[in-house]
Parts: sequence; structure tokens; C-alpha cells
Amino acid sequence: MAGMTFFHYLHKETILHKMDCRLKLLCMLLLSLSASFALKLPHYLVPISLIMLAIWAAKLPFGALLKDMRFFGVLILIVFISNAFLIPGEPIPNFPIANISQQGVITGLRFAGRLTLIIMACSVISGTTSLSSLRNAVEWILRPFPFISEVRIATMVSLTFILIPLIFDNYIEIMDAQKSRCIQLQKKPALRIKYISFPLLTQTFRRADEIINAMESRNYSEVRTQVELYTKKADWLILALCAAVLLFVLFF
Amino acid sequence: MKNYETLNIRMTVYCALFTALIIVGGYISIPIPIGPVPIVLADFFVMLAGLFLGFKYAFISISLYLALGLIGLPVFAGGTSGLAVIFGPTGGFIIGYILMGVCIGFITTKMKVTIISLMIALIAGNILLYLAGVPWLKFNMKLSWPAAITIGFIPFTAGIVIKIAAAVALGYAFLPQFKQKMVFASFKQPDDGDE
Repeated sequence: MAGMTFFHYLHKETILHKMDCRLKLLCMLLLSLSASFALKLPHYLVPISLIMLAIWAAKLPFGALLKDMRFFGVLILIVFISNAFLIPGEPIPNFPIANISQQGVITGLRFAGRLTLIIMACSVISGTTSLSSLRNAVEWILRPFPFISEVRIATMVSLTFILIPLIFDNYIEIMDAQKSRCIQLQKKPALRIKYISFPLLTQTFRRADEIINAMESRNYSEVRTQVELYTKKADWLILALCAAVLLFVLFF
Repeated sequence: MKNYETLNIRMTVYCALFTALIIVGGYISIPIPIGPVPIVLADFFVMLAGLFLGFKYAFISISLYLALGLIGLPVFAGGTSGLAVIFGPTGGFIIGYILMGVCIGFITTKMKVTIISLMIALIAGNILLYLAGVPWLKFNMKLSWPAAITIGFIPFTAGIVIKIAAAVALGYAFLPQFKQKMVFASFKQPDDGDE
């Protein structure tokens, strides 16, 4: 996962990279809502077209993103197959496998479509948003809330985004190491979890300690200079496009 | 003052670490044949968050996970996100994560680390998780109680036992060292400049 383009920021000089992160998060929320309410084929095609346009405008490597979809492809396929087989309904005429229902296929396609849409939208947001601008936006959003240390929460959000690829990377390394020790022959699930989770936790704690030492050695403090965030007309236009997509899904 | 800051940086990083682990655990999900609730490892890492972070920081870590999902990032089980998931059939389980983490954290903070105390904490946490999840599933999908229990609890019993056993083993192996690290951080020797 760490070698993947997903959840990784790619620095470019584009309109999406320069967009105000607060509005970018709002766009993500609107697209996520669109995915939740989508029922018909055009409901999926319109937001996916918008995301494709965003990938092109942000100059993100489309081929690499498509290649990386393999990881989620397995997940989406499992979701589709489980829905197709398990949801009761009328069988598909002239289809060789009798257990698949029409309703199951439709529900499976809907769920797979939603998942694809959300993952693609997230890849655009993470590919065009640096961790510092994400932290500043979260800090700004949390500022009005009492009893919350917005700087600490914003730091935690950016740290979470740093740690996710590291954990995936560790997980893949550990799985490869355990496979070379024939873990697949181990029949007891508790022992399997033990052989994977023990080294995973040890390594991730070690990485976390390295981050703590780095932060302490740089005298990390919660007293920080507040960053001035500003919004351009183009940012509002992109937000309006996302809102239009949601309205289309809701009313057409 | 410096000790306070040191501990906070440590806990900030560990909270983020467990949020990341819960997210990664949510991706490792296995759909089951008789219901809409998949088996996920997210709850296993919620248990560990409660054990290692204590109730206050477990609450922060799990709330952060919920907040990231609510703003639309695909962090819930199987890469889903948004308000629709919270108000959907699995919403009770997601809210139950907070109850479970806080309950496990509270019990382990108050009791000495033994296999029995860890088991008590984890079983109590899981009871709260399913007390939040199963009724929510029942009312959301308009099921009868037996049907809700059949699809929202029974398929997971084997998984719960395995996860609790693994969490007890991990807690027993790592928790004393982890707590020592916390104590060490809070009573760190002052540098020359602090004297």
C-alpha cells in the first residue's frame, strides 16, 4: 500500500492542488452523499465523470490509479459476489449459475458502484491535498468547538494519514515473511492472528516511537502560528459542481 | 510542564496510531453468508485501543475514526463512509465501538493487568458493542429479535472468541511494557536546561 498512489500526495501546480482544503473536504462530503443516495446508472455515471475530469485536471497518473484499484478490486468483487449469491430473488433467465438472483446482482452492482465512487473521490482528495493543508483545514473546522484542542486533533489527523500507508507496508512485509514460513499450513485461526498481529504491533509501535522522538527533538508544541486560509472563485465553482451532482442524484 | 508535553505528544501519536490501525482493520473485512454485517478486524483494534490507551484516549482515538468516516473518507468496514453508514444497519456497531473502547479502557485502567482482568474487560466491552449493534440492526431493518440476533450476533461468536483470545495474549504480552513506557515518559529526568 505504501508504494501505491492511493492516499499519497502528489505535488503538482494545478487548480485542484491550489484549492482551499476546507472546500475540498466539503466536496468530498457531497460526493460521498451522492454515492449513498445513488440508485440508477446515471446517478453513478455523472459523479464518476466528474471525478475522471478531476483526475485529468489534477494531472494525477490515471494508469497508476487504475492499476492500484486492483487492491480494492478484490474487495469490490467479494462484495458484489456475496450480494449476488445471498440476496434472495428471481433467478436470471438463461444464466448457467442458478443461485444468482436479479435483485442480488442489482444490489451488488449498486454497492460496488458506491464503493468505487468513494474510493476514487478519496484518491483525488488525498492525491491533491498536502498533509499540512489538511491539518490547517481540520484545525480551522474545529476552532469554534469548545473543549477541543483543535491543534492536537489536526495533528492526529495528519499523523493518521502518515501511519496508514506505513501500517499497510508493514502488514505486507510481515505477511510475505510469514508466508515464507508456511503460515498457510497453520489451521488454528488464533495462532494465525498471533503470528501476524504480534510482529505488526511491535513494528508499528517502534515506528510510532520514532515519530515521537522526531517530534520531541524538534520541540513540537501546540502553540503554533495560525495559517490564513483563503478561498478563490474557482474553488466555489468546484463546490457548486459537486452540489449540482448531489442535487442531480437526489431529484432526477 | 515539559513532562506534561512529552506525555501528550506520545499519547497524540498513539491515538493516531490506533485510529490508523482501526481503519486498516476495517479494510480486512470478510462478508458472511446470512446477513449484511461483515466480520472485520476493526473491532479487534478497537479492543486493543481500549486496552492500551485507557478510556480517555481510546475515546479520542475512536471518535477520530468516526469523524474521518463522517466527513466522507472511506474508513468504515469495506471502504464505506458517510452519514448513511451511521444510519444504516451497521450504525449501531460503529457507535458501539466507542462504548466498547471506553469500557475496556476504564476496566483495564482500574484493575491490575492479569489474564482474568483482561478477559473481564474485553467480554464487558463486547457485550456493550452487541447491545448497541443488535437492537440498532433490529429497528433499522425491521427484524424480529430472533432474526436480529441470528444475523447480528450468532455468526460472529466464533470470531469474538478468537479476537478476545488474541487481544488477551497481546495485552498480557505488551501492556506492562506499554504502561511502563507511559510512566517513564511522565517522569522523564529533566534536562540541564530545566533545572
